Amino acid sequence: MTTTTSHVTPTLAATARGLTRVHGRGDAAVSALRGVDLDLPAGRFTAVMGPSGSGKSTLMHCLAGLDTPTSGSVEVAGRALDGMDDTALTLFRREHVGFVFQAFNLLPMLTAGQNIALPLELAGRRLTGAVRERHDLVVDVLGLRDRLSHRPAELSGGQQQRVAIARALVTEPEIVFADEPTGNLDSAASAEVLGFLRRSVRELGQTVVMVTHELDAAAYADDVVVLADGAVRAHLVEPTADQLVAALRGEQVR
Amino acid sequence: MRTVLLASLRTHTRRYVAAAVAVVIGVAFVVVTGMLSASARTGMTASVGLPYAEADVVVTGLDGAEAREIVRAAAGRGDRAAVIGFATERARVEDRLLTDNVRVGAVADDERLRWQEVREGRLPDAPSEVAVDVNAAKSDRVGLGDTVRLGSGDRVVEAEVVGLVDTPSAAPGTDFLLTFADLETFVDGLWVDGVVYAGPGAGSLEQRTDRDVVPAPEHVQAVQADITRGVDVLATMLLVFAAIALFVSVLVIANTFTILFAQRARDFALLRCVGATRRQVLRSVRVEALVLAVVASVVGVLGGTVLGLAIVAVVRRVVADDVMGTTLPSPAWYAAALATGLVVTLVAAWLPTRRATAADPLSALRPHDVDVRTTAGRVRVALGLVAAAGGCALLALAIASHEVVPMLAGGIASFSGLLLLGPVLVPAAVRLVGAGVTRLTGTPGRIATGNAVRNPRRTAATTASLLVGVTLTTAVLIGLASSRHTVEEEMDQQYPVDLTMTADAPLADDLLADVRATKGVVDAVELAGTTAELDGQGPVTLVAAPEGTTGVLRGTSGVASPEPGSIWLPDGLLTEWPEDGRVTVTVEGRTRRLSLNTGEGWGDAAVVAPATLARLTDSTTPRAVWARADDAADPEDLAGDLDALAVPAGADLVSALGERDWVDLQLDVITGTVVGLLGIAVVIALIGIGNTLGLSVLERGRENALLRALGLTRRQLRGTLAVEGLLLSLVATVVGVVVGAAYAWVALRTMVDAVADDAAMVLPWGQLVLVVVVAGLAGLASSVLPTRRAVRTAPAAGLGMD
Ligand SMILES: Nc1ncnc2c1ncn2[C@@H]1O[C@H](COP(=O)(O)OP(=O)(O)O)[C@@H](O)[C@H]1O
Ligand SMILES: [Mg+2]
Repeated sequence: MTTTTSHVTPTLAATARGLTRVHGRGDAAVSALRGVDLDLPAGRFTAVMGPSGSGKSTLMHCLAGLDTPTSGSVEVAGRALDGMDDTALTLFRREHVGFVFQAFNLLPMLTAGQNIALPLELAGRRLTGAVRERHDLVVDVLGLRDRLSHRPAELSGGQQQRVAIARALVTEPEIVFADEPTGNLDSAASAEVLGFLRRSVRELGQTVVMVTHELDAAAYADDVVVLADGAVRAHLVEPTADQLVAALRGEQVR
Repeated sequence: MRTVLLASLRTHTRRYVAAAVAVVIGVAFVVVTGMLSASARTGMTASVGLPYAEADVVVTGLDGAEAREIVRAAAGRGDRAAVIGFATERARVEDRLLTDNVRVGAVADDERLRWQEVREGRLPDAPSEVAVDVNAAKSDRVGLGDTVRLGSGDRVVEAEVVGLVDTPSAAPGTDFLLTFADLETFVDGLWVDGVVYAGPGAGSLEQRTDRDVVPAPEHVQAVQADITRGVDVLATMLLVFAAIALFVSVLVIANTFTILFAQRARDFALLRCVGATRRQVLRSVRVEALVLAVVASVVGVLGGTVLGLAIVAVVRRVVADDVMGTTLPSPAWYAAALATGLVVTLVAAWLPTRRATAADPLSALRPHDVDVRTTAGRVRVALGLVAAAGGCALLALAIASHEVVPMLAGGIASFSGLLLLGPVLVPAAVRLVGAGVTRLTGTPGRIATGNAVRNPRRTAATTASLLVGVTLTTAVLIGLASSRHTVEEEMDQQYPVDLTMTADAPLADDLLADVRATKGVVDAVELAGTTAELDGQGPVTLVAAPEGTTGVLRGTSGVASPEPGSIWLPDGLLTEWPEDGRVTVTVEGRTRRLSLNTGEGWGDAAVVAPATLARLTDSTTPRAVWARADDAADPEDLAGDLDALAVPAGADLVSALGERDWVDLQLDVITGTVVGLLGIAVVIALIGIGNTLGLSVLERGRENALLRALGLTRRQLRGTLAVEGLLLSLVATVVGVVVGAAYAWVALRTMVDAVADDAAMVLPWGQLVLVVVVAGLAGLASSVLPTRRAVRTAPAAGLGMD
């Protein structure tokens, strides 16, 4: 494993130490993560790459408090997740973490606007004052103003993902996780969604961690974490295309 | 969560319809029961006081002769008294036989004690005048001026119809009202409810009789209390059926919720991902259930009220105005109905909501269909086995000890066991039946079987509701058929001969031929005899039962073939049973002592063996004809036809057919009522089956589309769903019939064996086959709506579906 040492910002949005996750038991046991140590800096757009089955989604779920690691510790937004019960994890997610999934991001019976406001409503926050300003900002940045009253079924795939991003951003979370957010989109829509994710980092100062296996997608990110067989093979800061390809091929970088 | 809640309600309302209908029916059932009992109570108690309104006191516990004494004594003292009661007699109108049992009563002699409402003409004032109840007059086609002959033998009153009256139905209903002087003819058989008494002597009446004397208002209250109790018993019985319907509703609702929540599992998980706590999700779905509960219960209360009003209106129109008031159930009853609906829904929703919200957030992220396959949990199977085994042991104990308590406990336990084991048993049964169906229908059958068993818990829950209804229906049908069998055997003892004609003078020679030729008569015999003296009883008709009499009889009564040296007398002919069990019979100076048997059901004649008769007399003449009727013959028509032969022949006709018919009718009414009431539970269960199918169709939109894309025709898809509905209902029905039969057998062995040892279990095959056929057809019908939805979706649209 190789890690570059020149961090751009000293604050960390999330850290993992000795993270392992075993799915199943006995003969059917699969080690999805085999000891991951990772520091994700705040205010950066990090892509997590690696071959299918390398443990990208599992890593993300563990970092987001959606899945409980078998061993190791996770710290997000300065808080240790181990030991939190289900309700504490939920409240934590609600306040500090945003999500964008590959599909099934939106509740079909709610309008786009209601989907976006959902985390606020769950937390019992009213759409007034600063919350309202934030909401409007996010909606405008993502260009969803005239789509708010539409239901998910009436939106294109790209629009649905934009709604999901808006929902992830509206609570001003410390970190946003996106698991293959462009996996179901054509290239134009992909570019649009990735552009918005990058804007949210640049203009709104968010921290975004995105799982992807597309090189094109990774090109939008600042940093790239390469996973292989449940372990971090490389953590590249602003890699060149060549460095990235090399890391993915399994070569030692630099 | 409010937005989510409201949106969910809006989106899923249609899927809750079946569950709501189940609650609505159950609640409406309770409300209608309350309405009918309240209305019956007010209706029946309102008019009850009428006959007693002008009385000071009422004397009860009297027989006819005692009642007559009081009335006569009252007249002597200048007081007023009248008998409330009736005698059951035969009625003829203008030589047309009406029936053998009309109720004949009397109007009070004193104007002030008369309470009947005259509709036409007037009340009888003099002997040989009679007033007829308007309803009886209508159905028996009796009009003013007709001559009515009441009674039989030497106790007959002939009277002219002088008026039509209306009598409140709660009072002891009398069809014919004579003057009391005429009614005295029947004083021996008079059933006396009470004697109303008014006048100065009322206060001291207590000293002049040893019977109960109560102030009139008190008596009225007692009668009203009696009626109220009776109505309450009926209401309680109705509520038992309501409880069964509600239990089935619980199964249907719980199943609906389970299926709906399984389909929405991803929604719940997503909510959890974006920050909804488990409690928030739980609260949201529980509020959904609460909204359903409130809406359905309120609709049930309103619907029940409307339906109750309609039924009351119909009853008042069809039966009589005063059998029912129009009374709404008490507020407490309404509150209970409403609460029942709420509790039933919330209880049914409790487990499914808990299970639904236990889903972890990650399940939202799993790609593609959450295939809702379920299996029977090990705990559930173990519990089921224990309950079934324990229940069966209790049932065995019940049979051995003839105790009802272990029978009920065992029944409930074993049935619970059966329901718990459903996820194992039902799919196995479906596979078995499905294999047969597949042979007939090919692919649709195979797919249907696969679909029906892929979710054992859901399949079991769906069939459980129908199983409850069918099991109970079967047990009741078998129980009633068996008791009908027992009752019929008893009737055969009590009424060995269907129709008898007996005369105290020789009958015409061609009467037997005429009777045999009458439509509806299967066979007849002629009994020769003479007139005999019986131990100072005066003359009786003595006949000999010839060989072959047994063929005319129902059952095996000894009267058909008396032992030589013995005699059969009708019950009640002797006032006292002789000490040595023998009576002296004298014919024209020849005397014999014969050993005595008594019985009834062969008319007014003593019966001996031909040899015995031959020893008493050498000259016999035809004295009686006994006939056996065809089972399908109309009792009234046949009795009328034979009466037309009997009257000119001077013979007295006695028909047992009316009595038989009445008992039959009663059993039919009980069977119909019970099956009808259980039918409500069955209907709810069938709604449940349709609902499961409908929801499954939604769930399988994608795979149905795939099947269509791969070349399954619309017809075949329709067939698939129809077969699935048929499989579910048939399996439930067949299992229900078998289990119901087993319970009926246990009940028979437990309850009837204790009192009679040869009670046979009678399987009403026709009815049972009907149950299976009806349930099967209903299962097919329940697939109609889901089918329409499934085939409407184009393959491409289905594949794109989430
Ligand atoms: N719920 C699960 N049960 C069993 N094995 C799982 C589960 N989730 C993931 N895995 C296994 O863990 C490994 C890593 O999976 P995942 O994190 O989804 O990989 P990636 O997202 O990189 O494709 C794979 O081998 C996968 O099969
Ligand atoms: Mg993945």
